[in-house]
Amino acid sequence: MVRLNNEQMGSAFWLAVGVVVALYATRYGLGTPSSPGTGLMPFVAGVAMCLFAFIGFVRGTIQKNQGVGWKPLLKDVSWPNSFLVLGALLSYVLLLPYIGFVLCTMLFLGFLFRCVKPMSWGRVVFWSILCTLGSWGLFELLLKVPLPKSMWGI
Amino acid sequence: MEFGHSIIIGFQVAFEPVNLLFCFMGVLIGTLVGVLPGLGPVAAISLLLPSTFHVPAVSAVIMLAGIYYGAMYGGSTTSILMNLPGEAASVITCLDGYQMARQGRAGPALGMSAFASFIAGTIGVIGLMLIAPPLAEAALKFGPPEYFSLTVLGLTLLTFLARGPMWKSLLMASLGLFIGCIGLDTLMGMPRFTFNIVGLTDGVGLVPIIMGLFGVSEVLLNVEQSMERQVFQGRIRNLLPTLRDWTRSIWAILRGTVLGFFIGILPGGSATVSTFISYAVEKKISKYPEKFGTGIIEGVAGPEAANNAATAGGLVPLMTLGLPSNPVMAILLGAMIIHGVQPGPMLITEHPDLFWGVVVSMYLGNVMLLVLNLPMIPIWVQILRVPYPILFPLILLFCLIGSYSLNNSLFDVLIMVGFGFLGYLFKKFEYEAAPLVLALVLGPIMETSLRRSLLLSAGDPTIFVTRPISGVLLLISLFLLVYPFIPWLRTSRKLLPEEREDI
Repeated sequence: MVRLNNEQMGSAFWLAVGVVVALYATRYGLGTPSSPGTGLMPFVAGVAMCLFAFIGFVRGTIQKNQGVGWKPLLKDVSWPNSFLVLGALLSYVLLLPYIGFVLCTMLFLGFLFRCVKPMSWGRVVFWSILCTLGSWGLFELLLKVPLPKSMWGI
Repeated sequence: MEFGHSIIIGFQVAFEPVNLLFCFMGVLIGTLVGVLPGLGPVAAISLLLPSTFHVPAVSAVIMLAGIYYGAMYGGSTTSILMNLPGEAASVITCLDGYQMARQGRAGPALGMSAFASFIAGTIGVIGLMLIAPPLAEAALKFGPPEYFSLTVLGLTLLTFLARGPMWKSLLMASLGLFIGCIGLDTLMGMPRFTFNIVGLTDGVGLVPIIMGLFGVSEVLLNVEQSMERQVFQGRIRNLLPTLRDWTRSIWAILRGTVLGFFIGILPGGSATVSTFISYAVEKKISKYPEKFGTGIIEGVAGPEAANNAATAGGLVPLMTLGLPSNPVMAILLGAMIIHGVQPGPMLITEHPDLFWGVVVSMYLGNVMLLVLNLPMIPIWVQILRVPYPILFPLILLFCLIGSYSLNNSLFDVLIMVGFGFLGYLFKKFEYEAAPLVLALVLGPIMETSLRRSLLLSAGDPTIFVTRPISGVLLLISLFLLVYPFIPWLRTSRKLLPEEREDI
């Protein structure tokens, strides 16, 4: 199997996206020069993406021929931390409408304080409660932002 | 007489207690944002935008602008004391600022940085005051073809000035143009790429995208790294620079101011780019270029002046043409529109209180920043000692609340998280997000202008080149696009420090 380098991989992805965008845009109609259609601008954007991605792919191929291979993206970094944070963010979005801002934020902050760079449980509980109540007071009470409430009304 | 009257209006507006308070809050929050690494002015302004919905437009813009120029002041503190930029426009200050701190001269470095910022900020505001009204008058002659060509120039300039290969910037700009097309077509009212998702009907929100690309992605990258940070431990003394420091810095400050202001005006020019160019110029004309990077005060003064002047310069195209020159200006544009104010040639005539109020508030803000920054440096140092493991969940929480509170919509939060991950991948694959954001903002203006121009000319595309202003703007864009392919010019471009990976 041919292994692409980073530039080739990135460009190939954007080339595919550009093709999909350009083809899909034609469904809205490109119009005529005197009456440009709804699909014209996205079509132009899609074609431009294809063009620049193609240039990138050619550049990547030249670099590959010069010995530039795939550069690992997650080497020498604590990448599980990033994915833990991402998971926490998605869970926050999913849970927020059901358990409300206060409880959801407390769990979210507690999880991040404990799992990404572990703290003692005492500090986790202290900081989670403090930050949740502080942000709730700031946004809900002071700035009048209507934050989501749970079925229990908080 | 007219000018004097306008200034009086500006003073009346800026000195209203509520506006003084918002100005103070803006510069204070801006300094804090600048000091804290990992939270830039883009994310901070997006975050605080919803909180301004209940206040008058003038107060909102005064505060949001204050955050921007306040962040430029604050960023240098972190660069000098931690060798870590508080925000992107302070990267270059690390080179000489931190070396000065290591030599026991943290005080003069911080002091000069504050004075340079003050001088440049003040001169920049004078420039804004003098240039914006005549430019707005000239812009009244602009029709759809001129606006189209101007947006093309803006995108070309941004991709030209961005770091890394041009094709990547252009690719990101194309992606931004596409994302800008999602939602209802502004001329026909037809939905595009919405896939029957109600949340997409109004398009993809600018603020969630910016928060994701600049706020969340930064956190995702930071948590991968070691979170231990060393803050300068010694005592900070002698904040007031000596006469020798002043004689060495004053011309660097003035040069940085002029450069920064005009780079800020350019569509696509940013405070960050202006600092790199200022540093390169100072190094090039210095009698001892080899000493740059070892703790030279000009290396702090020039770039710090440039980034502050650029903030005032950036307001010129926004206030006169309604065109944002960088992502921060894009959010300010959004903020003004949300408040029912349409930036453009008519702004100064229709809303003189807003324009002149903001201008005068910037004078006041610069004075506040100078008074705030020097005595408050020990407090900023203490804030820098807050551990990142406590700080980053709070940054994420503010992003979550900020994107939710825009429309009370979880869909916006989801968009923010998605773009956060996309921004993380962009950085891994070395794509810059700034062209995407600018294209996202300019895209709808560009599309409307293009289609209106073609309707005007009955489909004749020569309208873009036969109208003089439009033709010149397109010619400049074309030159910038072919510039990298002209070998002897390309060689000199490579010398700019922002091209180097090792800074």
